[in-house]
Amino acid sequence: MKFIVSSTYLLKELQVLGGVINNSNTLPILDNFLFALNKNELTVSASDLETTLSSVLEVDSDNEGNIAVPARLLLDTLKTFPEQPLTFVVSDNNTIEISSEHGKYALAYADGTEFPKAVELANPSTTTIMGDILATAIDKTIFAAGNDDLRPVMSGVFFQFSPENLTFVATDAHKLVKYQREDVSSSEVAEFIMPKKPLNLLKGILAGSEDDVTIEYNDVNAKFIFGNTILICRLIDGKYPNYEAVIPKENPNKLTISRSQFLSSVRRVAIFSNKTTHQIRLKIAGAELNISAEDIDYSNKAEERLTCSYQGDDMQIGFNSRFLTEMLNNLNADEVSVEMSLPNRAGILTPADGLDEGELVTMLVMPVMLNS
Amino acid sequence: MNKTILHLDLDTFFVSVERLLDSRLKNKPILIGGLSDRGVVAACSYETRGYGIHSGMPMKMAKELCPEAIRIKGNAGTYSKHSNLVTEIVKEHVPLFEKSSIDEFYADLTGMDRFFGSYKYASELRRKIIKETGLPISFGLSGNKVVSKVATGEAKPNNQLKIDYGLEKPFLAPLSIKKIPMVGDKTYQTLRNLGLRKVGTIQEMPLDVMRRVLGKNGAVIWNRANGIDHTPVIPFWERKSISTERTFDKDTIDVTKLNGILIAMTENLAYQLRRGEKLTACIAVRIRYSDFNTYSKQMRIPYTSADHILIPKILELFKSLYNRRLLVRLIGVRFTHLVSGNYQINLFEDTEEALNLYQAMDHIRKKYGEKSVIRAAAMGARTIGRMNNPFNGQPPIVLAHRKQ
Repeated sequence: MKFIVSSTYLLKELQVLGGVINNSNTLPILDNFLFALNKNELTVSASDLETTLSSVLEVDSDNEGNIAVPARLLLDTLKTFPEQPLTFVVSDNNTIEISSEHGKYALAYADGTEFPKAVELANPSTTTIMGDILATAIDKTIFAAGNDDLRPVMSGVFFQFSPENLTFVATDAHKLVKYQREDVSSSEVAEFIMPKKPLNLLKGILAGSEDDVTIEYNDVNAKFIFGNTILICRLIDGKYPNYEAVIPKENPNKLTISRSQFLSSVRRVAIFSNKTTHQIRLKIAGAELNISAEDIDYSNKAEERLTCSYQGDDMQIGFNSRFLTEMLNNLNADEVSVEMSLPNRAGILTPADGLDEGELVTMLVMPVMLNS
Repeated sequence: MNKTILHLDLDTFFVSVERLLDSRLKNKPILIGGLSDRGVVAACSYETRGYGIHSGMPMKMAKELCPEAIRIKGNAGTYSKHSNLVTEIVKEHVPLFEKSSIDEFYADLTGMDRFFGSYKYASELRRKIIKETGLPISFGLSGNKVVSKVATGEAKPNNQLKIDYGLEKPFLAPLSIKKIPMVGDKTYQTLRNLGLRKVGTIQEMPLDVMRRVLGKNGAVIWNRANGIDHTPVIPFWERKSISTERTFDKDTIDVTKLNGILIAMTENLAYQLRRGEKLTACIAVRIRYSDFNTYSKQMRIPYTSADHILIPKILELFKSLYNRRLLVRLIGVRFTHLVSGNYQINLFEDTEEALNLYQAMDHIRKKYGEKSVIRAAAMGARTIGRMNNPFNGQPPIVLAHRKQ
């Protein structure tokens, strides 16, 4: 097995694939890239058993072969090269030799057949979506997903496809984000929960991409096909909580405020809140929003007043400032509105502007109980 | 700069309070503590000491040693009320003080020599406390907390003692090593086995030897024996945990009853958390079997103060902990990793009705007392509960025999 490839081209592709590889693997073979050579096509795969990412690279060769190359070692080597052609030759004593303009390097490789095979999807359904739209959908939702191992369904993003629209939902039971696209649709109704790791990879690869992504999915796996790359991952098994039911329908109290002003006030005040619980208090009366926080343990205290437009009864509500900053940060609107009903019911944060055609964002944040 | 630290200690505090309320008790042997078979002596008057009675002793044994003693159950509420009276006076008169237990205070009088003379000032303070509250109190005055405490112990009953700078070592030298705070029964035995009896001997020993025998604590004891102690007077006592426990009059194996008690304990502690605007992230259950083997198990949880999350977790802990088919002597619940904050509402698990119910229940408790509304499952354990707000910056009321 022998092939020639450009060093920077290979590095660029391998760096993306390297994102799949865990730092510590129970299965040593997973520390490797799988190189499957078929004439001019080199298919490189990386896997953590849950997610497999593979790319097809164009190389100069007339051989065939299948080997697993240590990922870390190869990446570290490639990073140091300026642009130049590299020749990879498999020698007989289970090493692969790389020749550059500067010299020769030999790496021990493992047999490619040991590498776990990517799953094949049985009777998949298919949807096509533009890469950037998918990346944006992931970006808007993924921060709200939870980390609780005890509730695995909430550690992923819920994909809901229908002929009318596509909906992406993430929640950790304290905050919830629902991102809907009405300008894109699927031919059939489908629902699945995607784990965070492959989504983060996709977000990185697809940001700004105008190419279409084909999504194939069944009950167990999903496959994302775009350009020369295929990502196959296992879905999170389980039933997603009925999030529609928890979005309050009647919210008589509506606050509209400049996002950047609100965000910077919350941030500042939050510095004075308790370091573990990050709780702040919002008091709204008339056209004034009062944000305050207190850390009793250290006698730290802050209070800010903002003008806002407000319709509804005077109210007082407590929030975890982390949630508010995360959400406000994730939006790019100039003005946001917060709709509330009672101090123990969810507040609904929506952007007032800055959305694309057909884009719909709803963010929910649960308050903390305040002792009145 | 040399510090001036005052240690005040109310003599036989519980007994003094009882005598204040009922003068017939004066000059009579008195025992205060649990009256059941399992009860222990929480406090005893000087008259009973001659019979070999000391606090921490089982009440049954004390009764045999001194049958004529008057036994009183005691009331923590009354004691803390009187303790607060004393606290008020101390607070008014000293710049910086620490209430280290229900009947003990440290005050930092550093620099007051310039104006009043610390000893004179302390004596006046003591007289004032005795006059205004009618409770006997002793004090020790020296350059640090440890020496002052030991001095108070030597001054008692109802007296005062001042240890001048530089005289700490000669003062401590002739005392028994047991007088050093921190030397309990175990350490005392270890040191006695080394042939040590007087503090003076420790003073002559090299520090390294103590460290080799007792580790880190050895160094602290050596310092204390030499009258060296740099711990500051801390005015605010921050709660790091809240807990409650119950020893049964009769060992039990009735799991339904145990569960009921755990529910009552958890419900009560959770209410304390909410009232103090605190959250817990670590809960533990303790269990002591009739053979005195004690086990405890703890669990990390997301920050919370909600009954409906805590109670099932506590019961689950108990279920996994209670695995010996033995009678249970004691069970307890403890919440640690406390932080200030309020309960974060869950989107899917909390209903508005439940939240409103909790708020209403807490409201009733605030108005009519914490036992006015309780879960039906906890009704069998009505006596679980405490009176004071545990987050008022004061130390917990620790019974005299419990070593801190």
